Order: sequence, then structure tokens, then C-alpha cells
Amino acid sequence: MSTQPEIVLAAGLRLPQARAGGAYKREDAGHLGAAVTRELMARTGLSPDAFDEVIAGCVGQPHDQANLARVVALRAGLPQATPAYTVARNCASGMEAVTSAVTQIMAGRGDTFLCLGIETMSAYPLLFNQKATDFFGRLAFSRSIGAKLGAITSWRPSMLAPRIALVEGLTDPTNDLIMGSTAENLARDFELSRLDADTYAAESHTRAAAARDAGRFAKEIMPYFPMGASKKQKALAADDSIRDGQSVEALAKLRPYFEKPDGVVTVGNACGITDGATALVVTTKQRALALGLKPLATIKSFAWAGCDPSRMGLGPVFATAKCLDQAGVTLDDVGPIELNEAFAVQVLACRKAFASDSFAQKHLGRSKAMGEVSLAQLNPNGGAIAIGHPVGATGARILLTSALELEAGDHELGLATLCIGGGQGGAVLLERCSA
Amino acid sequence: MSAQEHNPLEGVPVPANAPAHGESIRIERPEPGLMRLVLDPPHRSLAVFDVPMLLDLDAAIAEVENEGSLRGLVISGADPLTFAGGADLEAIGKLKTPEAVGRYIAFGQALFQRIHKLSRSGGGTVMVVAAIGGPVPGGACEIALACDRIVMTRDDRSRIGLPEVKLGIVPGWGGCARLPRRVGVPAALGVIVPGKLVRARAALKMGMIDRVTPAEYLERVGADIAMGREKCARKTRGKWSWLIDKNPIALAVIERQAAKGILKATGGHYPAASIALDLVLRSPRQYLADALTEERRVNSTLATNPITKALIGIYEMTEFAKGLAKDHQGNKVEPFGRGAVVGAGIMGGAIASLMAERGMSMRLRDLSRDALDDAVRDHQGEVNKKRKRRHLKNHKANAAIDRLEVTTGPEGFGKCEIVIEAVAEVMKVKHIVLGEFAELLGPNAILATNTSSLSVAEMAQSLPNPGRVVGMHFFNPVRRMPLVEIVRGPQTTDETVRRIARLALDLGKTPVVVRDVPGFLVNRLLAPYLDEAVCLLEDGASPERVDRAMKQFGMPMGPFELLDEVGLDIAGHAGESMHRGYGERMTANKFLKPLVRSGDLGKKTGAGIFRYESGKKGRPKAAGLNPRLPSPNSTRAVSLSHNDIVDRLILAMVNEGARAMEERVAASPSELDLATIFGMGFAPFRGGLLAYADSRGPAKIVERLKRIATSPGVVSRPGGPERFDSAPLLLEVAEAGGTFHAS
Repeated sequence: MSTQPEIVLAAGLRLPQARAGGAYKREDAGHLGAAVTRELMARTGLSPDAFDEVIAGCVGQPHDQANLARVVALRAGLPQATPAYTVARNCASGMEAVTSAVTQIMAGRGDTFLCLGIETMSAYPLLFNQKATDFFGRLAFSRSIGAKLGAITSWRPSMLAPRIALVEGLTDPTNDLIMGSTAENLARDFELSRLDADTYAAESHTRAAAARDAGRFAKEIMPYFPMGASKKQKALAADDSIRDGQSVEALAKLRPYFEKPDGVVTVGNACGITDGATALVVTTKQRALALGLKPLATIKSFAWAGCDPSRMGLGPVFATAKCLDQAGVTLDDVGPIELNEAFAVQVLACRKAFASDSFAQKHLGRSKAMGEVSLAQLNPNGGAIAIGHPVGATGARILLTSALELEAGDHELGLATLCIGGGQGGAVLLERCSA
Repeated sequence: MSAQEHNPLEGVPVPANAPAHGESIRIERPEPGLMRLVLDPPHRSLAVFDVPMLLDLDAAIAEVENEGSLRGLVISGADPLTFAGGADLEAIGKLKTPEAVGRYIAFGQALFQRIHKLSRSGGGTVMVVAAIGGPVPGGACEIALACDRIVMTRDDRSRIGLPEVKLGIVPGWGGCARLPRRVGVPAALGVIVPGKLVRARAALKMGMIDRVTPAEYLERVGADIAMGREKCARKTRGKWSWLIDKNPIALAVIERQAAKGILKATGGHYPAASIALDLVLRSPRQYLADALTEERRVNSTLATNPITKALIGIYEMTEFAKGLAKDHQGNKVEPFGRGAVVGAGIMGGAIASLMAERGMSMRLRDLSRDALDDAVRDHQGEVNKKRKRRHLKNHKANAAIDRLEVTTGPEGFGKCEIVIEAVAEVMKVKHIVLGEFAELLGPNAILATNTSSLSVAEMAQSLPNPGRVVGMHFFNPVRRMPLVEIVRGPQTTDETVRRIARLALDLGKTPVVVRDVPGFLVNRLLAPYLDEAVCLLEDGASPERVDRAMKQFGMPMGPFELLDEVGLDIAGHAGESMHRGYGERMTANKFLKPLVRSGDLGKKTGAGIFRYESGKKGRPKAAGLNPRLPSPNSTRAVSLSHNDIVDRLILAMVNEGARAMEERVAASPSELDLATIFGMGFAPFRGGLLAYADSRGPAKIVERLKRIATSPGVVSRPGGPERFDSAPLLLEVAEAGGTFHAS
């Protein structure tokens, strides 16, 4: 990559993440994206025409905001001449927005990109089932009064049963496993107990609360007063799903959610359903400096990898292996690792897989394990279990958190990686930027 | 014979820059059998039916009448969004006698009748089409109504209507006669009585126009309809015409309802609305010619009465105010793209909200996050209200909400071209805030203050580039009050004033430029008015009675209602600062101090002069006097007549107005009047404060002031005689036997 320009995350900002159906329940994705973009533009002083293109990652695009990226760009006051497109790679959509920008820059197709990850899981719809859809079809096509009456009498109460987009979206259609069940597979494969999972989950909350209280998150979050707020509601200044004083004992009381009664995954040790948006400026170092920005981190390498869909939680291991090889570094060189906490057992399974010789031999084509990941370096500010996982936004969120952590914790290299429904992993290696 | 017969428009003023004969209307023959009359006078950007236009129209119609084998006629404006602006208001304002008005109206009526006679619906052989767009008010609407079909440009700027009633007259060129025939009595009343302009889509729906088309197709569609290539059916009233428009019983019901509404809306001060109601109700049962005669008869007297003169004067002043935003070449100055407001209180929040709604990208700062939350909530509430009422389209409402950013910190203001500060009214705080923002925004950004009491000149001191410091005084509530005082400091540049005027106009406000004196203009004039009311209260006058007297005079609310609205504490502070600024004559009455001390501050606390209960939708509603109101110190004011009360309050204000005029606080008496009408709701039909003084006669006012100054309630009071001591300018005008407006 010697002739390649140094590509950097030049600036970034995110909204506080809010439990779905909570603070942002009357929000729409376009407004969330526009709000975070406007604030980022104001704070950086960037001119609206600074961007070659806008790329947004989103899993469940609102049906009335097709090509969300374009909607956001225009609502944020960017010029009409700036093109925009939306990408989807499930839980990594926000990261895909960034790697798409990196690829474009490497290909010489522009040098400044606005990358977003946006998700409003609150707005996921309930759908009519097939029987109801057919019923409405019959009704619409019947012309005579008799035909209409006939169509009406074909109504059945079962038509009221909705299809829930949230549940169906989190289910892998190639194996009919909901994401939680893939995590249960990992718990069995790697012999992880309920206590392991709950202990990890409690720690995530503890770390997130500490980071919030220390002002660490204030560097990445803009306080935000949502649309349609109730009379008593106030602006949100921090992620609202962090539980202060979350304990293993309290978590132990929860029932398994996906596999009753023997499963280990509960709502307490899995990530929450959340709304959020993150915006990042991806550009070359040279251009960042010309724009008067102080880059947050250099993007050293990135990789995408595929794996068994029924064990999609191991995706980070596969992707990290590729990503580190590309950069020519080992796991021991890496400081903080943001490994998205889809499920506590999934994170712990990845950790075991990193350290396992047999896993490395069987799946990664290496003779030895990649290395140990200490719990201290893993998600030092807590993760999705505490602060939520707005699916399309998280990829961008962990990149921002990871980039800021280099400076905050005085590290050289940082890794952001996540598992992806459908059996994939994505990883981006960040390096501290010597500006 | 006599010269009069050769000039049927005798006595009607001709514009100074009138063009030669034949230049106001272009006659085109685009194809065989079709003629087009294009109203495109060289001396105006928007055609007006002034004398040259009427004469040209006369000649043009004669040419049409003599044209053989004519199938279609199209009447249109210079472009699809420009048609005409109606009658020549400037001329009407100058018409002295009912006879001259009659001549002007008769001439126009005859012209439009000739068009009607040519047309198919008038029994002629020509298909006459009005192809119009943009604003089509008054006479412009009436010429269209005389045509067979009306085609209008589909655009937000396209509006058609008959606003005459707003000017104290009634539609006189066939509007009252023809519109009810076209759309029926109820719909016609809905247009004529409130004097509103209707959007193209709504006009189509009610049958006022017949076809809507994009600007690019207007000419083609007009020609197609005129030549019969396109069938364009006209909505007919059908049976409704017999059931309602010509049914005396139905009409009697409508009349009762409408009359009630009119009385409520006008307080009986504007006769034109009731007269229009009468004309419209009778028109469908009359011959057209008779209906036209009545329009003419009625308008001849209406147009020359002082109410119409006053209302036309106001209209002309608002037009003048629009010119404040133009530079020497007559071009509008650039609008602001991005702006900032500091202070998210009620005023600051509302200003930022309004600016965001009107298209500016806004950044609002306050140190308190709670204040910002409230500002955003209110902004979204206002916008969503408009969305719900369909005053804002969905996407525009979204954009309006998107455009407001809020912050507690100093970052993100670099690209703002203007900041309006609305922080606490403390000079030191203002200095700090403006100093900080002068740095954040750079040397060319405009620094505006929404202060209502502090000196702009003092604020500009020590700021770099003081020429860009200016006062932009909004009134509370910001969204409802139509006036903005642009306070010009001694160093403020013309360019700064122009840009603020542009901003005010873009926000839908009327700007008035005032000098930097304590209270500026409106609050300065209100001070003696409100204080005098309190003096009457102290002397035993009943607050309800004073309020009633002032409302009958034409004020939108009585002085005590106003005090409760403003807040007794705020009014008290204002009174004291006026006293400091102007000395003895502004001595503030202390009678209400005990109320302020006990926390009864007005509507906001549930009790002030009056007691408030929660009424409809939880809004406070006055329910009798506040029992804690101090008892009067004397009974001197108990026996005052209505007129005495009005004179005590209004003449105190007139006298102060004369002083303000002398100090050139406003550039002209007209601008001062405009400020009183839009800033305090001073009875519009009286034309404003000084116009009222002129109509009373300055000499008589001087006399009256002398008597008031020596009356028992005033003479012994500190500052009383000084307040009613005639201002030098008033004396001067009175001695010369002239008026404020004429001098």
C-alpha cells in the first residue's frame, strides 16, 4: 500500500443510543441522520459541499425513506449535487459504509466521504400476514357488489395475526435460526455457562457506566432532544440502556429467552434492541489536514470473512485473522478491541477461538492460535449489552469508539470487529494518527 | 361639446411616469381568429388599472370589437406569474370627490361590460379566456370574472381574490355582481367579506376559476380553450342557484350568521364588510346592470371616507416598508443562509424557531439544556401544528424541524452570518455575549440585539466593526406580533439595516427603522398610555370601563388587559426605565406595586388586575377583578366620560408621539403610524397615532391637552402637568394650522 494515500477517520459524532420504543419512539431515521450530520458539520466547520459522496448503512430502511443516505444528505442541508447511496450488510452496515468509502478512495474515486450508520428499530413495522394480504387483494379486485360481499365474507380472525418485522429480520432465512439460537450453539460448542455469560454482561454495564461518568462518551455523543418527546422528557445526553449497579445476581434471575429451560442466553446477557445514529468523516490524511481537521485514526486495513451461518457469532475471528494478516501484525500488537457484544456468550466464544490452536488449525489454516485477548483490552468501555445495538448503526459506532480509545488509552493499534447475521465477520484495524 | 365628455376619467390622477398611449397593452394575433391582449405596462413591474391602462384597454377592446371573424380572445399578463394588481390605489387615495370616484369606477365597469358583451356567456360570439397567474387581486380578478373562462398557473404564488373590503371599499368593477353568480352566495361571501386571496387549487374547487395548468403551458392552454380545441366546462350552480342564491329564506339565514360574524370581527368599525354582505346577497336576484350600478353608488361614498384613506395609507406604508430591504438600484439585498440566536428563552426560542421555519439553518445557544429542550419542543410543536392544519407540507415541516440545531457550547457558529442575542437585559451580559460572538462569527457577520430597553450604541462600543451592530426588536409573542423595530445605532451602516429589513420581511414581519432612544418607539409611546390608565385606576375608574372605552375606540385590547398580558413586573420595570430616560413626564405610577410584591404579576401567575380561571383548552380567561387590587385613593375619575378616558390615554400618547417625531425617532409620521398599528394594534381604521391626531386637528388637541393638564387628577400629580404640556412640534403644527402628515 505504499503508493496508497493514508486513509483516516477524520471526525465523528453519534447520538445517544436509546432503547427501542423509548426516547426515540416517534423519531424517523432521516431526522436522526440529519441531526447528527448537521451537528458534525457545525462542530467541524466543514462546508456542506466538502463531500464526494454520502454512504449510509442501515438494515431496516424505513419503507417511506428509500435510499436513506440521500434522504439524510438532503435533510442535513448538503448540496443536491452530492450523490448518496445506502449499504446493507446486516449488523455491519455502518462498518460497510466506512469500508465502501475506503475502497472508493483507494480506487481514486473521490477522497472525502460522509459515512453514517443509522437504525430506528422502534419504527420496525408489523406486517399483514399472507392470508390478510390476499384478502385485501380480493377486495380490491372485486368489482360488483356481490363480488365485494363475497370477498368480505372471506375474512377470518387469523388474518389479524401480524408478522413482526423485528423478529423475522433477526432470523436467518437460510437455516431458520433466530440470532439468539446461533449464540446458544456457541455456548454449547465452547462450553460456556450461564454464569460466564452473566458475569461478562454485568461487567459490560459496569464499564459503560464508568466510561459515561468519566466523560469518555461525551467525546463521541451529542446531547439530543428527540422528536415527539413527551412533556416531561428531557434531552438525552448518554445512552439510556446502561444499568447502574447491574449485578450477576440480578441477571441470574432472568429466564433463558431463546431456549427454555436449558439455554444460557437471556435478555440480560444479550444486546438490547436500540435506536441510534453515528456519522463519520472518512478521507485521506492530507485532505483532512487541509480541511483543518485533526484525524482521529488511520485505517490500516480491513477485511470481511464468511463462516457457518448457524455459528455466525464467530465471524470476528475469521475477519480479524484476515485483517491482521493484511496489515502484517499479530493479535499481540493490538491494544483495545471493540468486539461487538451481540451476545455475551458470542464474545466469550470468540475469545476462546482466538486462543485455541485446534480452532486455528481447523478453520483458519494456521498451525497455532492467533493469541490471547485479555478481558481488560476487550471492550474497555463496555459494549452493546450495556449501550445497545442499533443494528445498522453499530458498525460505525464501534469504529468511532475504537478510534477515540487510541488517544484516550494511549495505544498504537486498535481493532473494531463484529459478527454478522448470515455468517460473516467484519474487522477494521485502526492506527493512531501521527498528525 | 364640453371637455368633460372627451375625458371620462377627469379628476383621476395619472401616474407621474405614465407611458404614451398604446404602450400599456400589447395586442397580439398568434393565429388566425385569435387575439391576445397582454397587460404589460413599461412603467410598472406589475400592471395596475391606472389611467393609461384603462385608456389603452378602451382602445384595445375597440380593436377587438372591430375585428372580423374573431373566434377567441385571451387576456393575460406579462408572464405566467404576473397578471395585474387591481385598481390604482395611489389614485384612489387621492380622489377627493364621490363624483371622481364614480367616474373611475364607471369607466372600468363599462370596459369590463364590453368584454362581457363580446364573450359567449354575455351573448357574444367570442370565447374570451383570462390566462392568469401569480397574485390576482381586486380589479385583476374582476376583469377575469368578466371572461368566459379563467385559466390559472399552478403555483404557490398564484392567488386570486377580492381584498377591497380590507381597504374599506367593496369590489366595484363587477366583483360583487359577478362572483356570486359564478360560485354562489356562500362561497362569494367567504371570499369578499374577509377580503382574502384564494390559492389556485381552492379557487378551482369552488368554481372561481375553471382550469389550472403549469406556467409553461398557460399560453397554449389559454389559446386552446379560446379556439375551442379544448373543451373546458364551467362549473354551474345548477339547482343550488335556486335553492340558495335566489331563495330569500336561505339568504336570510345566511345574512344573520354572516352579520354576526362581521360584527364580532370588526367591532362595527369597518362598514365596508356589512355593505359587501348586502350587495352579494342581493346580486343574484338583480339584473347585472343594476348590481353594477349599486357597486358604483356604494363605492363612491366609501372610497372618499377617512377609513378608506387610512387603510390605503397603511397599505402604501407596508409597501414602502418592503422597500427597506432594497439597495439604491432597487435590488433586494441577500438573505441570510445560516444564523444564530443566543438565549433560548421565550423570545429567543421563538425567533430561532421562526427563522428555521422560514428556511434558515439555525443554531440556538443557551447555557441551560432545559431551556434548549423547551425551545426545541416548542419549535416542533409549532411546526407540527402547521403540518396538521396543512399550512406546511409534510416535507417542508420535516425540513423546518431539521434546520434548528441547539447547543450549550461555543462551537459550530463559524458559518453563521448573523447572531441575534436574546439574553438577560443586563448591559454587562450583553457586552460579554456580543463580544464572544463577534469573535466566533468573524468580522463581517451582523450582530443584532433583541433588547427592548438597552442602548444599541452602548452595546456597539468596544465591539470590532460597530457598523454591523443593530437592534432587531421583536414583540412578544414573536409569532403573532407583526412588527419589528430595527434600531439603528449612530454607527449602524445602511447595508446592515437593509439586511435586517430583508430578514424581518422574510419572517413575515413589517420593519420600521427607529432611532436608538429609551424604549425605542412603540414601548416609549405605550408608557404614558399605560401609566395614565393606572392613574385613572388610582382615582377610582373601573378597569372594565377603561378597557371597554379603549376597545370601542378601536384598540385590540384594553390597557389593563394589556398590562396583565405583558406582566405587571415587566411593565413596572419598563415604566421606571422610561422615567430614568425621559424624566418627570414619564413618572411611573406606584399604585400597582403592592400587587407585584404579592406575586400577582398578571396572566402568567393567574392574577393581576384581573383574576384568571382556566378556560377553553386550559387557556386563562379573565373572571372578574383581582380581590387583592388596592382600593382607589380618590374618586376623581369615577365621573369621567368615555371621551374623557379616551383622551387622557390617547392624547398622552399623541403628545409623546409628537416628541418622538421631533426627535426623528421614526423617519416620517407615516412610519410612526405604521409602528403604532402593527406594534400595539392602534385602531387601523384611524390610520395610526398621528393620522388620528391629524383627523382630530392639532389645534384642538393642544386645547384639550391644556384642559387635561389642569384637571384635578393631573395637575397635582408629580409629572402630570409635564406629560400633558403640549410638545413643541405639536404646538408648531397647531399654530401653522397644518397636520403632522402634511408638514
